[in-house]
Amino acid sequence: MFTLPAWLLILALFAVPIAVGVYLSTRNATIGAFSPPRSVGFENYRRDVANATFREAVRTTLVIAILGLTMQLPIGVGLGVLLHRNLRGTRLFRSVLLLPMLLTPVAIGLMWRFILDTDLGVANWFLSKVGSSGFDWFGDRHAAVASIVLVDSWQSIPFVMLLTIAGLAGLPTEPFEAAVVDGAGPLRIFVSLTLPMLRRVLLVILLIRLIDVLKLFDVIFILTRGGPGTATQTVGLLNYNTGFNFLQTSRAAAIGVAVTILTIPLFLVWRRASRSEP
Amino acid sequence: MTVAVTAAAVVASRKRRRIRWGTVVSYTLLVGASLVALFPIFWTLSTSIKTRVDSYAIPPKFVQFSPTAKNYRQLFSNAEFTKALTNTISITFTSTLLCVFVGSLAAYALARTPRFPGRRPLEASLLLARAIPGIVLMVPLYDVVTRLRLYDNRLALVVIYAAANLPFAIWLMTSFIEQIPIELEECARTDGAGRLAIILRIVAPLSLPGLAATMIFVALLAWNEFLIPVILAGPRSKTLPVYISSFVSNRTLDWGPMAAASCLAIIPIALLTIAVQRQLVSGLTTGAVKQ
Repeated sequence: MFTLPAWLLILALFAVPIAVGVYLSTRNATIGAFSPPRSVGFENYRRDVANATFREAVRTTLVIAILGLTMQLPIGVGLGVLLHRNLRGTRLFRSVLLLPMLLTPVAIGLMWRFILDTDLGVANWFLSKVGSSGFDWFGDRHAAVASIVLVDSWQSIPFVMLLTIAGLAGLPTEPFEAAVVDGAGPLRIFVSLTLPMLRRVLLVILLIRLIDVLKLFDVIFILTRGGPGTATQTVGLLNYNTGFNFLQTSRAAAIGVAVTILTIPLFLVWRRASRSEP
Repeated sequence: MTVAVTAAAVVASRKRRRIRWGTVVSYTLLVGASLVALFPIFWTLSTSIKTRVDSYAIPPKFVQFSPTAKNYRQLFSNAEFTKALTNTISITFTSTLLCVFVGSLAAYALARTPRFPGRRPLEASLLLARAIPGIVLMVPLYDVVTRLRLYDNRLALVVIYAAANLPFAIWLMTSFIEQIPIELEECARTDGAGRLAIILRIVAPLSLPGLAATMIFVALLAWNEFLIPVILAGPRSKTLPVYISSFVSNRTLDWGPMAAASCLAIIPIALLTIAVQRQLVSGLTTGAVKQ
């Protein structure tokens, strides 16, 4: 009885759109069409999912996720370990370091656009001071991917840090005390004790970050809209562009169904990992 | 004997020195990371109080400029902006109330009733709802919403926002309610208190801190929400993030007013973070682990 209102909202926002999405994906609906849509079978899947653009979008998504993780995992876990030491001022540092994940992504994305502006940005000015010629951040394919990874990392490192702190707080203290007594150095303790014990937390971080990159929208929309060309067009952006730039409702719905299917394995592993928690 | 003592002293002093070096390195890294975390925020603030010329200056002017309130004046004299601001405040407020109310009811059931019909499907759909990219839902949702003539309707946005943040609210509230000792409720029950009385007199007051933390989070998510309004909000119900994003398509990029608008979006969050730091961190940690 208590869960009834929750069910209603979940059905309205999640179940109905998924059902409608599956239905739309087999038709040829567009926004502002003159003729009523008719059924086209799997035509949309053949044309928009089993093609190079979709594959490229999947690859871009993976590249952004993997490059991001190589930045976010070491820095986030490192900061988490530092904060776990409970030095004086930890609370202040923690609040400051959490800020990036709380601030309006659109607002901060625009600010990054200004910071990374090719001619007027602080980033290129700074790079010129240290002897680099700077980058055409949003005009060059590789630099554009780098800019997305940079801003996404800036925003999500606090999240990795937070999960690390929570994971560390849940660890038993005895093995660490024993290791100190046995004369193990901090590096040795970190490599042979902390990391293995955090294994599950790290797996959860990995999964959530993968899911989040599939969901990543605000930052890419503000920074590059998937450009230059299709250099930063992730599956999410491809879905948006197809549906709301090219107004191809049905083709976008087919892409959406495909993306949903892509998230299912991630979801299953995640469910398994979070359920087997002690 | 003396040798042993000196050796011990050497080991001790070496250890002390190592710890001190470790502390220095730790602080250096923390300060460095904080600077990186804060710089874009500082830059937004400073750009918002610069004149156009100062904001374009190379080398950049970090502190040596005369501040101006022109950008803010320009913003507040713009009806489109004030409309977006009031829309954001009202939609955030109402959708948060709705979401947390519905979420708390479901969370109470999940935390206190180990078995009820539909428990497993509910848990699974909550997790799935967190995993599915929002954009995937937006294409069909746009179709449904326009058919129902609810495009650019504030009430529809409130309901959709509430539903979008519901899985998160339920997770958070469930873990908070689980922390309340169940014995209290059992005692009240044996004393003859009804279910409603138990909820109102025992569960509600005890879960107040958790409720507050959940409200703060859901409000934060609603305040920052971009995907839903950029697709479903027209001129009447446009929110602040959508208004801010419209600066991008503007060919004459005017960074001053844009930074001012961004500041007004992020300052409430920064203040909130400082004001309710403890609840925020406990909520974030619980939410993060649960997620």
